[in-house]
Amino acid sequence: MRNPILRLLLGRLASGVLTLLIVSLVIFAITSLLPGDAAQQILGQFATPEQVAALRTQLGLDQPALLRYFNWLIGLVSGDLGQSVSNALPVSTLMAGRLPNSLILAGVTTAVSVPIALALGIISAMRRGGAIDRVLNVFTLSMVAVPEFLVATIAVLIFAVHLGWLPALSYVSSVENIGDFMRIYAMPVLTLCCVLIAQMARMTRAALIDQLDSPYIEMAQLKGVGPLRRVLRHALPNSLGPIANAVALSLSYLLGGVIIVETIFNYPGIASLMVDAVANRDLALVQACAMLFCSAYLVLVIAADLCAILSNPRLRT
Amino acid sequence: MTDHKNSIPGLIGPEQSTRLFEAMHRGLSRRDALKALGAAGLFAASAGSMFGSGLGYAAEPAGTPTRGGRIRVAAHSASTSDTLDPALGATAIDYVRHATFYNGLTVFDETLTPQPALAEHFETTDGGTTWLFTLRSGVTFHDGKSLEPADVIFSLGRHKDPNTGSKVMSLAEQISTVEAVGDRQVRIVLSSPNVELPSILAVSHMMIVQAGTTDFTKGIGTGPFRCQEFNPGVRSVAVRNENYWKEGRPYLDEIEMVGIGDESSRVNALLSGDVQLVNNVSGRSASRVENSGAHAIKASNSGNYSDLVMRVDQEPTSRPEFVEAMKYLFDREQIKRAVFRNYAEIANDQPIAQSNRYYFDGLPQREYDPERARALLAKAGVQGARLPIVASPAANGSEDMAVLLQQSAQQAGLNLTVNRVPSDGYWSNHWMKHPLGFGNINPRPTANILLSQFFQSSAPWNESGWQNEQFDQLLVLSRQEPDEAKRMQMYADMQTLIHDHAGIGIPVFISDIDGYDTRLKGYERSIPLGGFMGYSFPEHVWWEA
Amino acid sequence: MSQANSPRAAGSQLPVASPSRRNRAPRHAMRWIGASLFGFWILVAIFGPMLAPHPVGALVGDDMFAGASAAFPLGTDYLGRDMLSRILTGARYTVGLALIAALLASSIGASLGILAALAPKWLDETVSRLNDALISIPSKMLALVMVSAFGASIPLLIITAVLSYAPGAFRISRSLAANLTTLEYVQVARTRGEGRLYIAWAELLPNMIHPVLADMGMRFVFIVLLLSGMSFLGLGVQPPIADLGSLVRENIGGLSEGALAVIAPAVAIGTLTIGANLLIDSLSASRGQQGD
Repeated sequence: MRNPILRLLLGRLASGVLTLLIVSLVIFAITSLLPGDAAQQILGQFATPEQVAALRTQLGLDQPALLRYFNWLIGLVSGDLGQSVSNALPVSTLMAGRLPNSLILAGVTTAVSVPIALALGIISAMRRGGAIDRVLNVFTLSMVAVPEFLVATIAVLIFAVHLGWLPALSYVSSVENIGDFMRIYAMPVLTLCCVLIAQMARMTRAALIDQLDSPYIEMAQLKGVGPLRRVLRHALPNSLGPIANAVALSLSYLLGGVIIVETIFNYPGIASLMVDAVANRDLALVQACAMLFCSAYLVLVIAADLCAILSNPRLRT
Repeated sequence: MTDHKNSIPGLIGPEQSTRLFEAMHRGLSRRDALKALGAAGLFAASAGSMFGSGLGYAAEPAGTPTRGGRIRVAAHSASTSDTLDPALGATAIDYVRHATFYNGLTVFDETLTPQPALAEHFETTDGGTTWLFTLRSGVTFHDGKSLEPADVIFSLGRHKDPNTGSKVMSLAEQISTVEAVGDRQVRIVLSSPNVELPSILAVSHMMIVQAGTTDFTKGIGTGPFRCQEFNPGVRSVAVRNENYWKEGRPYLDEIEMVGIGDESSRVNALLSGDVQLVNNVSGRSASRVENSGAHAIKASNSGNYSDLVMRVDQEPTSRPEFVEAMKYLFDREQIKRAVFRNYAEIANDQPIAQSNRYYFDGLPQREYDPERARALLAKAGVQGARLPIVASPAANGSEDMAVLLQQSAQQAGLNLTVNRVPSDGYWSNHWMKHPLGFGNINPRPTANILLSQFFQSSAPWNESGWQNEQFDQLLVLSRQEPDEAKRMQMYADMQTLIHDHAGIGIPVFISDIDGYDTRLKGYERSIPLGGFMGYSFPEHVWWEA
Repeated sequence: MSQANSPRAAGSQLPVASPSRRNRAPRHAMRWIGASLFGFWILVAIFGPMLAPHPVGALVGDDMFAGASAAFPLGTDYLGRDMLSRILTGARYTVGLALIAALLASSIGASLGILAALAPKWLDETVSRLNDALISIPSKMLALVMVSAFGASIPLLIITAVLSYAPGAFRISRSLAANLTTLEYVQVARTRGEGRLYIAWAELLPNMIHPVLADMGMRFVFIVLLLSGMSFLGLGVQPPIADLGSLVRENIGGLSEGALAVIAPAVAIGTLTIGANLLIDSLSASRGQQGD
């Protein structure tokens, strides 16, 4: 069993490099379709053509696009992410300032949402068709149907403006103790959980129900195995593949997709960095963010597939 | 000198000497300025119009300034392109930071009159071509180095180098040479006379940095605060500069600046006490802030406008009757009330606002008149036509204005379809590129700069592509005309030409609304350049716990 | 993808039998609720604009964020326009765009996913890598770039939504299909010499339709929300018309005073998406029974 997993990991590493290369090409292609370039964005509304031309030369934007791409690629291979053209700081410095924040937010949200989602999904599946299942179903649907910005704004109005319990903004810099930490992360995590829990719980339920309908579960039932054991020992391991995949997909959203939460709570994360980078046509920074999101996603899906393989004896061999 | 005491908050006690010192310099320099401008009636006129317009202008700040306290300020935008290089300033948060860490040779007061700052004295020796600036002595940068002519030469010279990417390159191009005269004076020679040079040097981009600076992330200037932390797109922390050249200033210990892009988040942060001062509050939120009991609104109108741009080089906007019809289709009262909740002033298709001393009030107000527009459209031969109108969140209020215009155009038998485009890339790809679209023009420090940048035939941002020789001649003459009354007449003529002929429709001037915690004092003054007291609040405000 | 490196042949100790279903409580109530909610919104989408009492862009009230009244049953919006008319007009865009985009995203994603699971390894690998690349680009970013580059139009909005959400559907379907291919009855079908398309259609699809449909229901919700996010960025449906999500967004300033203008479209989105998902749930349950 060691061997196949090692082989899987090595294979994934190779295909991951390929995926990253594809992503960088896709990003390169679509950003070169964007109107305007970094020089125009830096100089803004009132730039003269001569200034734009001069800045283009200075930033090296007058070189052919493909050449710039290869230069960037060579830099990346040698571990240099390049410079941000919009403020002349190394891309790695900009990323290093934001990445820990994003990882903490993603980590806390994961720690809260995954157990709740799994529990809700399992309960729904066990009580399939019953009152609890229906209530949970409508509840999770309602949570996900409310736009994120509405959840966040309502939370701010209630907890920050009216009750004054929590800060309206999430200042990472003012964390001094665990109390601060909880106060600061409460609302962003709550907002993100609303979106994530529903999706993960519903996929968990669906995957479990598919297994519960399988003949081997019927057999187990006939043998007199109790419902909880049927679900946890028999159905869950076999449905871990799809569940882990759904969880991985949801969690990959936590780095790049949380732009609304970062905006509303003024949380300095990596998603707003990439939005800025796109707006500034800051290609090196856009690429670096894309590489990061893609790597994180790849790690998550490898973890999901490992889960699937380890849990399903038939996939293991 | 009626506005004299307004320029200086009522200082007492140990700071009395400062006041005397400041007043003396102001008095002296004012005379110099008057001489330079050759405009004896200028101050009375400008002060009068300021009072007359009553734009959030308080006579005297209440209370005695106290030292201490820290505040957190949220501006409406922050991104990784935030910069501490004055030449590159682009947004409110940049301008405020520059006023926090740097000073200019001159500085604007409440009437946008340039006052001495790092230059304690300035004069022109030949009617506006050669200028002599005397530097204040004993001024040091945050790193301890003294201010020298070399710093001024470096700071002004940078703008002409295209590699700097300066936002005011076109303004700086008229500066031929900058040279040191002795160790305290700088001589500036212009390519042609311009009596407004002291105003140009008061623009925040022209602030003085240390000679040879290449890394601007440290924010080393001569300003009231030192930069303790600067993280572009996240925050900056400014701490009091104990060696500031204005004795007793600043009052606050620390200012943290952040950007909150979302308006409702920004207002909520103010109301929950997370920040003490915000800008760009919308008219819709203003009453929420005022009703909270612990917060106040300061609305000031600096002449910011979002205008309908009708390109004269495209069809059908090249037809004068069509342009005139569109101007009659603005229901200005409705735009003011519905879009801006009355935080705006009705405009009359002339770009100079009522608060400006060169505002010409002799033009009859254009009213909403769909019948007249219908007749004009018929004359232009475009009745019943279907035309796209381009709007974007980038031009403040333009989407709503476009929708209202669409409604009123229907009354005149014209079908407009609103084409909303993203703010991303709007200025380089859409602005001035469509027959019918919107622009947004921020206040400029002088009427002449505004007219030169946006209406001169050869100007790159001549929004409607309007060509008018008479206007161009008046514009050049007004720069050199020493007689104030004659200049007033020239500005009146130019505004009439724009009102009658230019392809620009200006329905309202939009007010800048700031919201602040009422414990923040000294925030009553207005410098009509924009919100945040014309971006210069850091050294003027204090905290009363 | 998991199968790329693991053998598909696997022994199962389970008897070969078509999966039987146990009888479960009738879902008529849920189905009825789902169908009527969803049907209601389909009707609104078709007939709404005809029923609107006022033009969608007209300022009819002097009051902004007015409450419910006889003249304006859902109050007025931030400019003083009739909310009822705006919802009746805007629902068409939300329902239409989201429905088309969700159907396309799920059917494209699911078919490719199933075929990839059955395809030769190299093809599976290539499609999966491309898919991973697409999926790891955040959807709002993709939307921003697409609209900035190509301009906003209804087909483009649909393409953007499909590009954003088909890869997720692909991944989940592929993973489900890959699991199923290891099962006895699929192996049996293979040894019978059935073609890939037959296996996909007759053996795999019926047994994975429930999670695929549940996933489509979620994608429908996400696309509704993506549209509202895009309007926020200045993309999306052109004013004066606004889709339901944008109606929430543009009136968010009225939230603190509890304005109907923000609550009404939020409730509309809620009832639409809940209705659609309840309907899908009950349909997939009955479909599953028929599939036996």
